[in-house]
Amino acid sequence: MSSTSVQVDPDSGVVRRTRSGGRPSYRWSAKGFVAPGVFIVAGLLYLPFLWTTFLSFTRYRGLGSPEWIGLDNYVAMFSDPALLTSLRNTAFWVVGTIAVPVGIGLLIAVLTYNMRFGAWFRLPFLIPYAISGVAVGVIWSFILQSGGALSQAMDTFGLPGADSRWLLDAPLNTFVMIGAAAWQASGVNALLFVIGLQSIPKEPVEAARVDGASGWTMFRHILWPMLRPLTTVVVGLSIVASLKTFDVVWVMTQGGPGRSSETLAITMYRETFVQSEYGLGGAVSVFLTVVTLTASIAYLRRQLSERKAL
Amino acid sequence: MVNKVIRPVFLSVLGLLWLVPVYLLIANASKLPGDYSSAEVWKPAFGGALLDNMRDVWERADLGSTVMSTLIYSVTGPLVGVLIGASVGFAIVALRLRHGFWWFVFIFGGTVFPLQMLLMPLFVGYAETGLYDTRIGLILVYTVISVPFSAFVMRNFFTGIAHHVFEAAVVDGASTWRIFWRIYLPMSKSAMVAVFILQATFIWNDLLLGLTLSQSNDVRPVMTALTALQSTYGGSAMPVVLAGGLLVSIPTVVLFLATQRIFSRGLALGQF
Repeated sequence: MSSTSVQVDPDSGVVRRTRSGGRPSYRWSAKGFVAPGVFIVAGLLYLPFLWTTFLSFTRYRGLGSPEWIGLDNYVAMFSDPALLTSLRNTAFWVVGTIAVPVGIGLLIAVLTYNMRFGAWFRLPFLIPYAISGVAVGVIWSFILQSGGALSQAMDTFGLPGADSRWLLDAPLNTFVMIGAAAWQASGVNALLFVIGLQSIPKEPVEAARVDGASGWTMFRHILWPMLRPLTTVVVGLSIVASLKTFDVVWVMTQGGPGRSSETLAITMYRETFVQSEYGLGGAVSVFLTVVTLTASIAYLRRQLSERKAL
Repeated sequence: MVNKVIRPVFLSVLGLLWLVPVYLLIANASKLPGDYSSAEVWKPAFGGALLDNMRDVWERADLGSTVMSTLIYSVTGPLVGVLIGASVGFAIVALRLRHGFWWFVFIFGGTVFPLQMLLMPLFVGYAETGLYDTRIGLILVYTVISVPFSAFVMRNFFTGIAHHVFEAAVVDGASTWRIFWRIYLPMSKSAMVAVFILQATFIWNDLLLGLTLSQSNDVRPVMTALTALQSTYGGSAMPVVLAGGLLVSIPTVVLFLATQRIFSRGLALGQF
């Protein structure tokens, strides 16, 4: 093709002319560069996704071929008391994760962002973030054993509830695990909020200070509104992450005792890999996906429309 | 001026409170299993049995071999993932791939599904193709899950490189491959390092994929092994389990503290 040859012609005028004409010479190499990514994402992410969706409408236990049973798995799922517990626990995780680590992160960020040695004061909160969910689970199951470190400390100070069976009684076990996860996640939220606070333009903050605003007034009327876009991101991320809670629970209680602390992600894992109910496990993960997507889209839309209204 | 006093005091108290679990971890991981008593977990340990416990968990509980394989996974996976992601970004931004935006949406859409959607088909597929419980199989899956985020960041980064750079290289007669490898990749080192660190940490800390796609000691990643350690030992051998927890956390904590700046930039890149 003639356009291919003019493309590499060193004369700059010619190059510009073929540029506006659609640059046909790069069509193939562009496809070559994008192909590896497209193929492995299609093969290992999209294909499994479709396959799980298909299996959720079948009875399949790993042997033979899947048998189409329509919505039976979904019906079975919602009439199972264990799943309803799991749903309730997942709701606890979502609410708890928005309230505790996001709140603490925001508090730490606001207190440290314009302070001398602020980074040093933030450090203790950041260390747990670099620890894996599994290690967090190991540490906290040690602390929360019945009669363990927490109970002993409470006993020493004469606090009531020292004899609580932290990980054995529901829903207490879910609440303390949310606490353990908050210990890990607060630091990164603080870091994100600090990034946000540092990017707030200086002028309005200074103007407000000249007008006598400080402390709570400054936060409520200047910082908080200007942090709004970042808060949306942090809360959105927290919702998505908490819906998928797995590691901490798996290490600390394996969803027990008696399935009382399961989350949807644990239920999915148990149905599929412990009970070999592939179809049912598929239905749980499809449900989890639908909830995750709906929650994040609904949340983002609400936030965006609010911002438009302002 | 009360504020000047209250604020640091409040932050220090809260910070110390935050470090209490870390203290408990280190204190009890430093006790000889024989000296450990579940009734005296707050007592500090000066015995210095920490290294002994770590050696114990490394050799007897065989955490050593899983640490080695996990090291391979968390270097290879993100490295290949970032290169594939960069090549996607290059095709879309520099080569102006037709419908490039939609291809980008397709690839980035891969992060939308919870991992749970992938587990069962991957497990069945891996079992049938002989990839189950192999290092290659784990490297493959860790590479794939690194691609969408890498493509996202690299595409954003490449849009910041003026297109004249590309045109000038073409005028000089460079091939597209050469432009990618010799110009675009070296120019985007900082973004690539940020993505690499984030993904490597994610893979090092992964439990779910390891649990599903591997079982033998040589192949399974370290978090899976630690979980097994927790359920088999527990009880009296608690110091050994805690030493294991400490051991697997050291690499990510050190990496994180050493690269905090890049890390927060990487976070900022990822969120917006």
